[in-house]
Amino acid sequence: MRYAVFMPPLLEAHSLTKHYGRTVALDGVTFEVNEGVTGLLGPNGAGKSTAMKLFLGLIPPTSGSALILGQEPYRSPEGRNRIGYMPENDCLPSDMTATEFLMLMAQLSGLPPSQARTRTADVLRHVGLDEERYRPMHEYSTGMKQRVKLAQAVVHDPVLVLLDEPTAGLDPDGRQEMLRLIDRTSRSFGISVMLSTHLMGDVERIADSVLVLESGQLSQEGAVASLTQETETLLIEVADGVDAFAAILAERGVEANVDGALVVIEHAKEEDYDIVRDAAVDAGARLRRLAPARRTLTDIFRGDRS
Amino acid sequence: MMGREAEVFDLGYQRYTGLRQGRNRARWSLFVNGVRTLLGIGRGGKSKILPILFFISAMTPAVVFVVLLAFIGDLVEAAEAGDFIPGPADYYGIVAVVLVLFGAIMAPELLGPDRRDNVLPLYLVRPLSTLDYLGMRLAALAAIVLVLVYSGQALLMAGLMLTADVPLDYLRDNWEDIPRILLMGAVITLFISLATLAVSAYVTRRAFAAAVIIVIYIMVSTVISGLTFAENCTNTEAGFGDEFRLDGRDCDYIIGDVAPYVALLNLSEATDGINALVFDLPAQSPSTIALEELPDWAPIGMYLFWTALPAAALWNRYRRLRL
Repeated sequence: MRYAVFMPPLLEAHSLTKHYGRTVALDGVTFEVNEGVTGLLGPNGAGKSTAMKLFLGLIPPTSGSALILGQEPYRSPEGRNRIGYMPENDCLPSDMTATEFLMLMAQLSGLPPSQARTRTADVLRHVGLDEERYRPMHEYSTGMKQRVKLAQAVVHDPVLVLLDEPTAGLDPDGRQEMLRLIDRTSRSFGISVMLSTHLMGDVERIADSVLVLESGQLSQEGAVASLTQETETLLIEVADGVDAFAAILAERGVEANVDGALVVIEHAKEEDYDIVRDAAVDAGARLRRLAPARRTLTDIFRGDRS
Repeated sequence: MMGREAEVFDLGYQRYTGLRQGRNRARWSLFVNGVRTLLGIGRGGKSKILPILFFISAMTPAVVFVVLLAFIGDLVEAAEAGDFIPGPADYYGIVAVVLVLFGAIMAPELLGPDRRDNVLPLYLVRPLSTLDYLGMRLAALAAIVLVLVYSGQALLMAGLMLTADVPLDYLRDNWEDIPRILLMGAVITLFISLATLAVSAYVTRRAFAAAVIIVIYIMVSTVISGLTFAENCTNTEAGFGDEFRLDGRDCDYIIGDVAPYVALLNLSEATDGINALVFDLPAQSPSTIALEELPDWAPIGMYLFWTALPAAALWNRYRRLRL
């Protein structure tokens, strides 16, 4: 006989509330986080860091509950040995080497010393710090420090890793490299990721699902693909005769806005596609692009939820 | 015959399926990390200079005592003649200053860098509570202080045995000193470890923390000792090591009758009072006579107060720390 194994969600918030004095950082939010990469989006002060600290057990909730792997992390520290955390701020002991530090972090998560040593070497190689592992960390560049921060978060092979603004302070190349590493952490290493950021581009690029916090409340949640679904706006790009093309569209009852080579039709209907095709032929305009616009997370963030 | 060329395969990321030892492993690792930090293990040669100097300093009184014992000759005769024979109780009184200096200089290394470099959140998102963290930092400091005090006492005990006519007879006659030594070592260790860690919890920079501890311990103790100094007692002119026990309570104090209570604030006497109780000794100096006018439990209360206060301060600081 087979029994179904109940696996709790990685993270669960039930009416989660946190007050700092009179300031309400989180106001009764309820959500779940499952496997994959989840983006926690929100402007500064939205409650992202507070939510992370609650899930990590660093602070107690004022009311409600924050569960990680089905356990309350603030009350039961034992449950924390399968999670990892990469804080936003500097957090590396300046006088230690990356190897020493990661070995300590692995052992603090319960790994025996010999296993901690092996894992340290492996993880430092995976984040590209193989050569520099015996250098004191105060000599590291910002990008290297970010990679050590990620390495310490995964050295004990957690089920879930919480990353707080992991691309903060990085130059464009460093940011791309960090996003690639995070993506690899999830896809290749099989470690689920919760990524807190105010950079929508980061979430759009690597996240499977997203939670949007605003003023301590959950304003949006869902799969990135469904949130950024197609809209009724039709984007058309033509090479020549854009004015003639727009004029023909207007003659045939389709209202369009022209912005350079881009022609935008709001609230496009199914039959408009044929009208656009015919108008392009009649105007001698070469059609380069004809596609419905997708909402971006920026739109969602700005409150455009149409 | 040509063999196949060797190839290196990157197996990629491997999941960890081995043993996870939980919270006790985390605690033990933090303790070991603390001990390594204090001893400068894994650091350059400079980091080992201070621990070595403190070890030498803690051993020096024991070595001096042993040398004195060698000159005294027959201990039984000397005791009957009322001569000063250095013993385990005297060692604690002297070595306390070395231990306070050790704590003052080394305790900030345990707490300061973790706060300064913001490492604490990384510890506390693992299977460790704040109490675990503080407990293991305290245990690491206490372990080293214990090693210092017990090493000196072991050397002194060996000296006392070897200078006796029959070493085993000495041990048999004075076996009660062993539990006293162990108890008093733990008492003095707990006091110094808690006091120095508590100050380190509030002052991040090592130099400042050390300065604050030394000022509090030495300056405050000196002032209070001065204020509670016993005058006009029958034998305050006695030499070093002579007993100050008085038949009558006939001492005068600069600050009058409140002197015994003010003496309770004297940090340097916090463990001396217990030492006197444990080893059943009379007051060791004119500045401690005032304490003898208080009930027998007063030194215990004083000690508990001076250990509970830094413990509460330490916990209060970390409980309120914004992570």
